[in-house]
Amino acid sequence: MYIIKNAVKSITRNKLRNVLLGIIVFVIAVSACVALSIREAADVAKKDALEGLTITAQISFDRMSAMEQMAKPEEASGQEETGDEQTTPEEPQGGFDRGGFDFDILQGSSLSLDEYLTYTEAQQEGDSYYYSGAFSLDATGDLLPYGTEEEDATEAPDEGNASSINDRRGGMENGQMGDPQAMGGRGGKRFQVNEGDFSVTGYSSYDAMLGMFDENGSYSVTEGEIFDEDSEALDCIISSELALYNDLEVGDTIVLCNPECEEETYSLKVTGIYTNETSSSQENNRFAMNDPANNIYISYKAAEAILSASEAAANTTTDSDGEETSVVLSDTLAFTYTFANVDHYNTFAERVYDLGLSEEYRVSSEDVAAFENSITPLETLSGAAFWFFVIVLAVGAVILVTLNIFNLRERKYEVGVLTAIGMKKSKVAVQFIFELFIVTFAAIILGAGVGAAASVPVTNALLADQIEKTQQSQETTNERFGFKDGRGEAPAGDIGGDPNAGEKGSGGRFDRSGTAQNYVNSVSTATNIHVILQLICVGILLTVISGLAALISIMRYEPLKILSDRT
Amino acid sequence: MSLLKLEHVSYQYDSASPVVLKDIDFEFDSGKIYAIVGKSGAGKTTLLSILSSLAAPTEGTILLNGEDITKTDKYKFRSRYVGVIFQSFNLLPHLTALENVILSMNISGKKFDRKEKEMAMELLKKVGLSEEEAHRRVLKLSGGQQQRVAIARALSYDPGIILADEPTGNLDVDTQQEIIGIFRMLAKEGKCVILVTHSPEVAKSADQIYELKKQ
Ligand SMILES: Nc1ncnc2c1ncn2[C@@H]1O[C@H](COP(=O)(O)OP(=O)(O)OP(=O)(O)O)[C@@H](O)[C@H]1O
Ligand SMILES: [Mg+2]
Repeated sequence: MYIIKNAVKSITRNKLRNVLLGIIVFVIAVSACVALSIREAADVAKKDALEGLTITAQISFDRMSAMEQMAKPEEASGQEETGDEQTTPEEPQGGFDRGGFDFDILQGSSLSLDEYLTYTEAQQEGDSYYYSGAFSLDATGDLLPYGTEEEDATEAPDEGNASSINDRRGGMENGQMGDPQAMGGRGGKRFQVNEGDFSVTGYSSYDAMLGMFDENGSYSVTEGEIFDEDSEALDCIISSELALYNDLEVGDTIVLCNPECEEETYSLKVTGIYTNETSSSQENNRFAMNDPANNIYISYKAAEAILSASEAAANTTTDSDGEETSVVLSDTLAFTYTFANVDHYNTFAERVYDLGLSEEYRVSSEDVAAFENSITPLETLSGAAFWFFVIVLAVGAVILVTLNIFNLRERKYEVGVLTAIGMKKSKVAVQFIFELFIVTFAAIILGAGVGAAASVPVTNALLADQIEKTQQSQETTNERFGFKDGRGEAPAGDIGGDPNAGEKGSGGRFDRSGTAQNYVNSVSTATNIHVILQLICVGILLTVISGLAALISIMRYEPLKILSDRT
Repeated sequence: MSLLKLEHVSYQYDSASPVVLKDIDFEFDSGKIYAIVGKSGAGKTTLLSILSSLAAPTEGTILLNGEDITKTDKYKFRSRYVGVIFQSFNLLPHLTALENVILSMNISGKKFDRKEKEMAMELLKKVGLSEEEAHRRVLKLSGGQQQRVAIARALSYDPGIILADEPTGNLDVDTQQEIIGIFRMLAKEGKCVILVTHSPEVAKSADQIYELKKQ
């Protein structure tokens, strides 16, 4: 007990020595607190972001690599191995062989639903999937797609259709429609175009529509209610624009037909009318099918019912050459895998190839890419903070040990006296270490307070700086890409070209928007119990390191030597 | 059997330095005052260091009640059984006179029937320090006052042996007499008092005188 009293007395009676020690520890504590807080903030932000992250992934065909394979003549044998039955017409040797590209492979390379479902075996507990199939249907009777003029439709429906198809095809050539593969559909023939006034999309579950209808989505059913996700009934929801344009109400039935075959009709019951906040802001809605107002949504089971009915009808069309072509409806599938966490996603991305997925396909997740992008500045900062912490601690420890050695030389006499009057060396050491401990912890508590107050603004300021740097590097990337007006958006990675894919808003790979909303750009509480505990460990570590010097010297001192040295 | 017995004690600070004490055979008993005299550098302080077990004899043995003191716990011996008044006092300068005395009482680990502070103050008054001086830091006391603090400290935990190195060296004749009076009283109480002195007057008051010859 007297040891503690003695320690406290010793501190108060030797202020200069202890204030100096305290200031050094204080500086270390403030720096360590800020550095640790930055790390903690980064960890917390990362964890929060990860927990809030719903990871969705798609399997897409790496068409470019397939084309590159085909372009290489020596790879021709490899091409045959891929199960190509159609032999390409013989082309004269020499020059570029455009016929070397097999569009049956390039276009018909979307996976079937069964294949997609097979790969779900690579998923783990907590993971899920959903999918949607899109196809086109034409209006019949008085029904008019939103955005078309009545004259066009009534005057000569066939011609009108034909011209609209041509228009659309023209649009495709201009690159307006995006992915031609998307339009081909699964198993589609090269020149078969089955598109119409309406884009009908069937969803496997409500989950598949979450992006549209959740708080971040722009859709909401304003009248009636959404179709039953498990029902095969041909129930649908239509846009408010379409409803208004055609004076449709909930409960009405709309009759649609196969764009290539007017006799093949389907009656859909309107169970709900939705509004889409962003539809009015869409530009260049020159083509009926391109206008989101003409999107009709049904359950996937209903879509399957339509598709199988179409297959059963097996209607054909005869073109000008007298060749018959099947006009069976087929859908474009968009299949999304969802994962509980990034690990599941990574495992999936590896395992799926073991389940038979060809190497020409790749698994990608915009969420993971966006997430990794969003925490880059914070991670960089966290890494820098770690090294700062290590350096502060190392330099601090060296300074403390030096200071303590000097202090101990000054206190040598004290050690001599205390041991000469019978105080055990170990007790003297305990007293000295206790003194260090008190001073160190007082300074650490003060330092933690100041550090905690400083860490949030410091972290945020550093983070803002880091984000700016990251953005500058992205700007450079954009410049190198030749983007001068900010059109740096990468194409949406969805396979099948789900018309809604664009609306989900893929952030763009080289986003140079000034708002930096894609980054974790601020932290709220940086210093928490974690940091305090770490600081306590730092305090103990510093006390032990400097105390060790004290202990070693005290143990070495012999009272007789010390005392006789003085006289 | 005598309380302390030195048998053929020799001492050398280290193997390179000359022998300070050679073949000493002294005996000390309870209830007596001993004076150790000798020229400066004769090894008086060295002998006290050995007696207080700050140094172990290079040769020979010291018996405390017939037992070799090198085999006992030297810290316990120093803090309880022997009270040393060092030639250079060896007080802690940043503590007050009172705190120095109390610290020794605490280190001894002995139980006292009254409060340490009270007893310490009484002792300091007995050796001639005022209450104000007792609360002053040792740093700010005169040599004579420091000497009195050192005496009070050595007596504070009631040890059986008192070792004093020139205890009256810095004191005036009157105070010197007072201190000698205290030692007499301690001897009467049954303690063994061993004084190192140059003063013939102090030596005269001793029951027995040992002389050390410079080697
Ligand atoms: N720590 C030491 N290391 C080596 N030699 C020492 C040490 N202390 C004292 N001596 C030597 O030992 C001898 C005896 O010293 P000591 O202090 O015992 O003499 P003393 O009789 O007390 O003298 P004084 O009357 O001046 O106090 C001296 O020659 C001294 O130089
Ligand atoms: Mg001496």
